[in-house]
Amino acid sequence: MKPAAFDYVVPRTVREAVGALGTGPGARILAGGQSLILEMRLQRVRPDLVVDINHVAELGHLSADDGTLRVGALVRHAAFEREGAVPGPLGTLFSRAVVNVAHPPIRSRGTLVGSLAWAHPAAEWCALALALDAAIEVHGPGGPREIAARDYFLGPFLTSRAQDELIAAVRFPLLADDTGVGFVEHRRTHFCFAQVAVAATLTASDGVITEARIGLVNCADRPVRAHAAERALIGAEITPPAGHRVPGDHPFARAGRAAAERDAAPLPEPYADVEYRRQAVAVLVGRTLCEAARDRLSRTGTSGGGHR
Amino acid sequence: MRITVTVNGEERALDVEPRRVLADVLREDCRLTGTHLGCEHGVCGACTVLVDGEAVRSCLVLAVQCDGASVRTVEGLSGPGGEPHPLQRAFSAEHALQCGFCTPGFLMVAAGALEADPSAGDDPERVAALVGSNICRCTGYEPIRRAIARAASEWPRTPS
Amino acid sequence: MHGDMHGAEVLVVEQWSRREDERLLTGEGRYVADMDVPGCLDAVFVRSDVAHGTLREVDCSAAYEVPGVVGAWSAADLSEMPPCAQSAATLQDLPPVPYVLLAQLSTEEAVAGREWPVLVRDRVRYPGEALVVVLGEDRYRAEDGAAKVTFRIDPLPAVVTPSTAADDSVRLFDGLSNVALRGETGEPIEESVWREAAVVVEARYRQQLLMPTPMECRTILAVPEGDALTVWSGHQAPHRLRRELATLLGGLVERVRVVVPDTGGAFGSKSATFPEFIAVAFLAVKLGRPVRWIEDRLESMTVASRGRGQDQRVRLAADADGRLLAYELNIDADIGAYPHLGVGLPMQTAWMATGPYATPRVHATVRSMVTNTMVTYPYRGAGRPEAAIALERSMDTLARELGMDPAELRRRNFIPPEDFPYETPTGRRYDSGNYAAALDLALETLDYDGWRAERARRRTDPDALPLGIGLSCYVERSGGEPGGLHEFASVEAHEDGTLTARCGTASSGQSHETVFPALVAETLGVDGTLVRLVEGDTGEQPEGVGSFASRSAQVGGAALREAATLLVEEARARAAALWEVPEAEVAWSGGTVHPVHGGHGGHGGAAAMDLAELVKTTGPMRVGGRFESGMAFPFGAHAAVAEVDPELGTVRVLRLVAVDDCGVVLDPAMVHGQAFGSAVQGIGQALYEGIPFGENGVPLLAEGLLDYLLPTFAEIPPIEIRDTRTPSPSTPLGAKGAGESGCIGTPAAIVNAVADALRVADPCLLQMPLTPDVVWRAARAPKFGEVGQAGEFGKTGEFGEAGEFGKAGEFGKAGKFGEAGEAGEAGEGGR
Repeated sequence: MKPAAFDYVVPRTVREAVGALGTGPGARILAGGQSLILEMRLQRVRPDLVVDINHVAELGHLSADDGTLRVGALVRHAAFEREGAVPGPLGTLFSRAVVNVAHPPIRSRGTLVGSLAWAHPAAEWCALALALDAAIEVHGPGGPREIAARDYFLGPFLTSRAQDELIAAVRFPLLADDTGVGFVEHRRTHFCFAQVAVAATLTASDGVITEARIGLVNCADRPVRAHAAERALIGAEITPPAGHRVPGDHPFARAGRAAAERDAAPLPEPYADVEYRRQAVAVLVGRTLCEAARDRLSRTGTSGGGHR
Repeated sequence: MRITVTVNGEERALDVEPRRVLADVLREDCRLTGTHLGCEHGVCGACTVLVDGEAVRSCLVLAVQCDGASVRTVEGLSGPGGEPHPLQRAFSAEHALQCGFCTPGFLMVAAGALEADPSAGDDPERVAALVGSNICRCTGYEPIRRAIARAASEWPRTPS
Repeated sequence: MHGDMHGAEVLVVEQWSRREDERLLTGEGRYVADMDVPGCLDAVFVRSDVAHGTLREVDCSAAYEVPGVVGAWSAADLSEMPPCAQSAATLQDLPPVPYVLLAQLSTEEAVAGREWPVLVRDRVRYPGEALVVVLGEDRYRAEDGAAKVTFRIDPLPAVVTPSTAADDSVRLFDGLSNVALRGETGEPIEESVWREAAVVVEARYRQQLLMPTPMECRTILAVPEGDALTVWSGHQAPHRLRRELATLLGGLVERVRVVVPDTGGAFGSKSATFPEFIAVAFLAVKLGRPVRWIEDRLESMTVASRGRGQDQRVRLAADADGRLLAYELNIDADIGAYPHLGVGLPMQTAWMATGPYATPRVHATVRSMVTNTMVTYPYRGAGRPEAAIALERSMDTLARELGMDPAELRRRNFIPPEDFPYETPTGRRYDSGNYAAALDLALETLDYDGWRAERARRRTDPDALPLGIGLSCYVERSGGEPGGLHEFASVEAHEDGTLTARCGTASSGQSHETVFPALVAETLGVDGTLVRLVEGDTGEQPEGVGSFASRSAQVGGAALREAATLLVEEARARAAALWEVPEAEVAWSGGTVHPVHGGHGGHGGAAAMDLAELVKTTGPMRVGGRFESGMAFPFGAHAAVAEVDPELGTVRVLRLVAVDDCGVVLDPAMVHGQAFGSAVQGIGQALYEGIPFGENGVPLLAEGLLDYLLPTFAEIPPIEIRDTRTPSPSTPLGAKGAGESGCIGTPAAIVNAVADALRVADPCLLQMPLTPDVVWRAARAPKFGEVGQAGEFGKTGEFGEAGEFGKAGEFGKAGKFGEAGEAGEAGEGGR
């Protein structure tokens, strides 16, 4: 379980990095390395050349202006743990999601962009990127281009990024201040991938939902945007249920069922067959929407009713 | 490939294959065998060391990535005169180790956090995140939690 | 920087709590992988990727072309290898893996025709079985070589559960049944007993296969020097390893030395002579070079020994007052692909089937079945958890059916303290016990009444998560079986006043280095710092048994105490001879011999003489020998409170109380640590740990410890460890074994709590591990008291791993469920 031999280069610029990537199909980018080196140890990935981009200074930036968060390829997961690291509700959402990414020593090295590049179906960031309409900036031999998240994920570990392209950054639109956000993850222990996780944002006007964004983690062979569930919510009251349980006739429960039956395409896993995973999707979507609705209440202080 | 790494304060010039992970270079090339390999896939945390002050899994870092960096292992935990680190004393006092195999990893994860911010040990949630970073199969974790909290409470706070 | 932290206030350097601590906390511990042996080769094994198949071809030739690779050998290659080392002249072929007849763990009959080859010859019988061994200058190069080895295996259908293996439709060994051993204990129970009983609980339980998972995987380093071979291994029984290796390598017992350095946990999994060990020792001798094998985790998860693995059927009958009438336990045990150490292990379950109850009729049967899985070995608890879980789950179900408080049901049936020693119907002679005292302490510590009130409150609150309380009372056996209840120990006094204690045990984290010297010092009445322990080294202590079956304190500790006592006698005898007085005139106190009369002045002018002086005067003094101990029966009561989220099926253990009684306690802090860690492993079995198999019989564990889930800190509930102390009359120290209690007592308490929370009618629905999908399904199933038709049962209770041993409900006595119902719940409230 040691990595097979490879060559190793340390470019200083994006241009050099892209040049190195173009030397052959066996070249791989090393950023945080928390997936790549693991896969190399398991010899499921055997690169000929490892292009270590950790010394490309321009990839290390995290910035938020003009309503956009731009995350450079070297920004580590840990950067998002503090709620204020990113402005507004997006910062809240990221801080709630990121604590589910492995554990602190992994988060201090692994990167958000690397997570998108790896495209594991159970990766939290991938579902967030999809739900929030992120834009992925890639650089290839032909220059830079941009891929919309909705066009990016093609399957497990499969994306529309070409092998010789480097993701320099990912851009997320910042969320308006009155957006409510939620992130709920369900897993068997602290040390495993999510069986299901859900990210959600809600905006409302006069107590009625005007926009919902829902991303599903590990509910298909790739991240899923729960369009059917989102549609089911438009025009519904944003009032969360009073108690812990979401009654079956509540709009959030209906959205949950829509997500489970129409959006998710879960695959069977040990200890979670398709029937169970649909159940988990339905429950988690409902609970995440509750969290988002409550978050919005605490954020806006305005009543959608029922806040206690 | 030739690299220079400062290990426990001592600069070392090493010639390593790019594929060698940091843990192996520390253990075999530097003969610092206190860093243990428990799973070699980044889960158990026994191999945790500090790279430039941050706790990392040394089984998921290539040694060549540490060229120019400063690495601290469990051997570098005690003071210059060999006096025990507060975490070492607290782990013993709280019976936070039995077989001792996972212990260096827990020590380093905690050392990284407490040395960066000793108040991390006052916050139960942050302590829980530290203990929850690694696997121990002997103690059931609770003694490790107590040890980290105890070390934090005994931590010499810098007088301002 | 960090030097400044040790400010002036740290004036008193605290003592380390244990002697082991300083080196283990500073990186100075030495595990096998830490040894620096120049020229040492690393062994890597090429392993089968199928569970069952016929090996058609293996080609190692390309591996030889890889830089840094010293050699690669399949089973066929090894006999052709030219002898290099002098002693290897007689070593033409790899011997098979030895099995252990000790303690009836295996039998000649079970093994005959089912020998375990070190490398596959023609038939692969478990996934990961070794095909080729590659040696390289380091692990990287050895793996490079392994990657070049090619092989072809024609797959055969695989059987991975005892129930599927039972019908012999797929045979592992041509011409031989998969049933390698049958056993029983107790007398068969007449049908009329079941017919006439007021209540009969029937159920099936799956004791899933588990991985012991010590943090350090298996290790061996073999260093040949001339005719001698020194073997370093993280191991529980170095003397057995030496004996077996020596025999296998051609009878060099005196020339083989096995040393156990620091060992990173074992939990039962490091007591055998594994195939890889034989290959390494064989090649080291053959090549005349040091060779080591440091198992890595994914390899370990494929081929390290498993624990548990039983499919059980039980019947438990009681009269209307809740007095137990009869208990029957039928075990189909999964012993893995080769019937070695684990083949007789299920008999431990059978012998302990009686549990803590005075049940008049108990009958247990065992069928040990080979399957296409890695071999089953002892894992912490080793047969006793399986017994306790089956019985205690059935007891809670019975209480529900009787409408009786589960604690009261147990109290009515405990073997009373005055009945010890107690001969059980299943052939055990329990030494001592006060089972009710342990249960009472557990209930009091838990605040049983308070949680019962909370449970009642939640049942009326539609928004509350259901909560349940589970009990589990166990009795187990420690020390080992007849023939293995002894240990070798010696104490040596030196001229400088220090003493060396030697013992045949080997620590893998149990603090022997701290506890044993303290015991010897206490016996001698000397300062503990004067005594040093040497163990786990066959060069220092030529005979020994080892550390397993919770025997170290009970048997090893007793041996050291007796050796120390012999040293006192020896000292007195020497002083008497020196002073020319009768021995009776010489007294011992505080490390000094002195005349009984006359204080310091003395009889015949003799003065008090300390041990150092005595040794200087009379010569080297080392006494010891073989010391017998007895079997002991620790017991306890565990209680858990769990909350279930029925929508997701998640279980949150809110509280766990473990009351254990291991007789006289040598070191409370160590015993507490063992109990706590063991309880957490018990939580692992109840909720998280399991091995799912693919259609082809290969475990689905590609992501390693992200797939096989050990409990982490986030999963640990508040746990309170308490003890009662009922001395054992059958062991010299009155100590019973400690350390396995949590694995034995905890799982059933947790499962019972979940069953109680869900009030599930069919107990077979809750099979371990209680993963969210299992619990969610159980939460949707009919509740206790809600069902009346037999048809409701029988479709449920599938056993996770293969689904074959499922369809459990045929035993469901539907009528009984209907009778008790809610009345039982109501009746409980008024206590």
